[in-house]
Amino acid sequence: MSEVFDADALSRAARLAGFDWTPQELEPARPAVEAALRLLATLDALPLDAVEPTTQYRIL
Amino acid sequence: MSVDLAFASVIDLARMIARKEVSPVEVVRVHLERIAARDRSLRAYITVCAEAASEAARTAEAALMSGRPSGPLHGVPIALKDLYDTAGVATTAGSTILADRVPATDATVVRRLREAGAIVLGKLHMVEFAYGPEGLNAHHGAPRNPWDADAERMPGGSSSGSGVAVAAGLAPAALGSDTGGSIRIPASLCGITGLKPTYGRVSRAGVLPLAWSMDHVGPMTRTVADSALLLRAIAGYDPADASSSVLPVPDYLAALTGDVKGLRVGLLRDFFLTSATPEVRTAVETAARALQGAGAVVDEVALPNVAHVAAASYAVVASEALAYHTSWLKTRAGDYDPEVRKRLQLGAFISGAHYVRAQQARALVRDEIDAALAQRDVLLAPATPLTAPRLDERQITLGDGPSDVRGALIRLTRPFNCSGHPACAVPCGFSAQGLPIGMQLVGRPFDEATVLRAADAYQRLTDWHTRRPVLA
Repeated sequence: MSEVFDADALSRAARLAGFDWTPQELEPARPAVEAALRLLATLDALPLDAVEPTTQYRIL
Repeated sequence: MSVDLAFASVIDLARMIARKEVSPVEVVRVHLERIAARDRSLRAYITVCAEAASEAARTAEAALMSGRPSGPLHGVPIALKDLYDTAGVATTAGSTILADRVPATDATVVRRLREAGAIVLGKLHMVEFAYGPEGLNAHHGAPRNPWDADAERMPGGSSSGSGVAVAAGLAPAALGSDTGGSIRIPASLCGITGLKPTYGRVSRAGVLPLAWSMDHVGPMTRTVADSALLLRAIAGYDPADASSSVLPVPDYLAALTGDVKGLRVGLLRDFFLTSATPEVRTAVETAARALQGAGAVVDEVALPNVAHVAAASYAVVASEALAYHTSWLKTRAGDYDPEVRKRLQLGAFISGAHYVRAQQARALVRDEIDAALAQRDVLLAPATPLTAPRLDERQITLGDGPSDVRGALIRLTRPFNCSGHPACAVPCGFSAQGLPIGMQLVGRPFDEATVLRAADAYQRLTDWHTRRPVLA
């Protein structure tokens, strides 16, 4: 993912997640959001389809 | 023989107290005086429990004099990162949002420490809500790394006060917490021992969370043997923590034989040693040779999927932290440290699918580490790829290229938060600038005994852990 988001788009997305943050409040986080989404996209390259998500760590 | 009580080990203090060679009142007094004299500049403590600690010391002394049985930590003062609930004492997580929060009960591990005879000296500085590895806090300022005479180096975090207090002789031991490295990073930067136990080994009930599936709690001490003693006191099943294990708690001190003959050590080069600065790389390679010289069998091993830990860890921690902080982010967003608020806000842009993908990636990495440990007893790597950065440093050049400081600090520790394996950081050298270098030993799930045995054997071979900072 290499999209560039403006602060208005982030504000709308945040509202969908339940947060009423203004574009001005989100502008400082915008570069980090873009970097984070690029980072998360790297997980799509992993062979994960047959991997059970980890929810517990062998609580023996 | 004169003993410097401020730098005596927990084991020595407990032994001297039990033999009535020194009074717990004297031990607590020495530490309180040192805190009064030094902590204005070091800033390790948020709250000093001077009166309560002194009273507890008098009670401990009376119990000894009347011959009542005492626990293994009887009369030994210990300090706590300020996210452990302490009955009647503010527990703020380094925030202003919780500035007035006074729990009614102790966290399970605090209760266990008290039952073992320990005395709570106070509550220690930390990164706000434990969300950051540098050790910075906009509300309280950064605790000072005691190894840096110019007061311009990071202590590491998030258990910053714990690292500083133990390194500077303001507490014989402390408890920290570790979600991505927050015990091992300050241990590495401050030149002390820090143990992140297996996920589930130690109860987190009554410990304020950052990310439930990644949070671990554990001891920070000057010696491995002290961490072994503390782990025995705090570990074990707790019905109040659904993630805690029912496995019995071994005698970790008994495991410290000093013998590593035949111990199989896997040196992690790719991603780990390759990312370290030359000084750190050399120190860890030298440590591997020291273990080899003592009879360990060292080979090199790679974890090819570990590079994906950054994405997985980010998705999990940001999502879980956002879930915990949602209410305050809606009503008190302005009360957060701006950097912490920004990190929390990022969680709002992670989808459920991202979170599940991240959990799948964690399983992949965990299985890979398990496979490496199927043929080895411990893995060896730098704890941090660099020594303490300057407070104003944001970018740094590592062995494999440029990195932001935050990412660099957390890079080598968080794989084992993702996987849940136990890991112990110990000092393994000093840079040309006199800053500590830390390495970590990683073991199989619930095999802290072997991790501690290897780390303790290394400390018997070297003297890095015995060096003390010269405080101005």
